[in-house]
Amino acid sequence: MSTHTAADKDSAASANNKTISLPISRVRLIMKSSPDVSSINQDALFLTTKATELFVQFLAVSSFNNGSGKESNSLSYSDLASAAEETDTFHFLTDILPKKILAGDYLKTLEQMQDEEADN
Amino acid sequence: MASSSGNDDDLTIPRAAINKMIKETLPNVRVANDARELVVNCCTEFIHLVSSEANEICNKSEKKTISPEHVINALESLGFGSYITEVKDVLQECKSVALKRRKASSRLENLGIPEEELLRQQQELFAKVRPVTTTAAALVVLELARQQQAELAQQEWLQMQQAAEQAHMAATSASAAQQAGSSQDEDDDDDI
Repeated sequence: MSTHTAADKDSAASANNKTISLPISRVRLIMKSSPDVSSINQDALFLTTKATELFVQFLAVSSFNNGSGKESNSLSYSDLASAAEETDTFHFLTDILPKKILAGDYLKTLEQMQDEEADN
Repeated sequence: MASSSGNDDDLTIPRAAINKMIKETLPNVRVANDARELVVNCCTEFIHLVSSEANEICNKSEKKTISPEHVINALESLGFGSYITEVKDVLQECKSVALKRRKASSRLENLGIPEEELLRQQQELFAKVRPVTTTAAALVVLELARQQQAELAQQEWLQMQQAAEQAHMAATSASAAQQAGSSQDEDDDDDI
C-alpha cells in the first residue's frame, strides 16, 4: 500500500516540480549575506533554490507525519520543534526553533537561578 | 521588506511563496501562523547552511565561484543527498528553457540585418503611417462636423415648423374673431 501511494506522490510531485517557485533573486541575496561567500554560479543558484523548496516540503511533511496534529489535520509550532529535535538532518534548526515554554515557567527558572547566586 | 532594514540578516523568502508551497504540500491541513513564520525562518537558515558548506568546498577547490558541483557535494555532506537527483533534473529543465529563449532571439539577429538598418526601416514605416493617421483623423473630424450640422438643421426645421403653426393658429383665431365681430346674426358653424 505504501509503495503504491509513494509512487503516486512522486509522479504528482515531479509533474508540479519541474520549475522553481521561490524567487531566485531573494535566494541569491540570502546566500550573499552568508559570511565569506563571494560569487555564485547561476546554475549553482538554481540548484540551491530548488533544494530549498524540497527542504520546505520535506520539513512540512515530516513534521506533520510525526506530529500530534495528524488526527485533527493541523500543523503547529510544536510539531516543527519536535521534528527539529528528533530528525538528524534538522539539527541545524534547533537554534532558531526553541521549544516554547510558558512565561510563568521561565520566570520561576529565573528566580531559582537568582536564589542560587544569592546563596553563593 | 528587505529595503527598509539595512541588516542583511533580516532577509527572508516572501511569506506568500512559503504559504503557497505549504498549501500545495499539505492540502487541507490547518497550519498555525507561528508555524508558518517558523518555516520562513527555516528556509533562510537552510540557505545559509548550504551556502556555507558549498563555500567551504569551493575554497578547498581553490576556485573563486561556487559551482553547481560544490552545491551538490554540500547537499551530500549535509545529509540531503536524496535531493540531488531531482535538483539536477530541474537544473536541466531551466537550462533548456533558457537555451530556447536565446535561440529565439538570435534567430531575429541572424536575419543578417544590422541594427542601424532596422532602425532606418522603422523610421520609414512611421513616415508612411503618419499621413494615413492624419487622413483618418481628418475624416473623423469631418464626419462629426457633418453630424453636428445635420442636427442643427433638424432643430432649425423643427423651430420653423413650430413657428409656422403658431402663426397659422394666430391668423385663424384672428380671422375667427373678426368674423364673429362682423356678423352676429349669422350662425356660423364654421370650424376654425
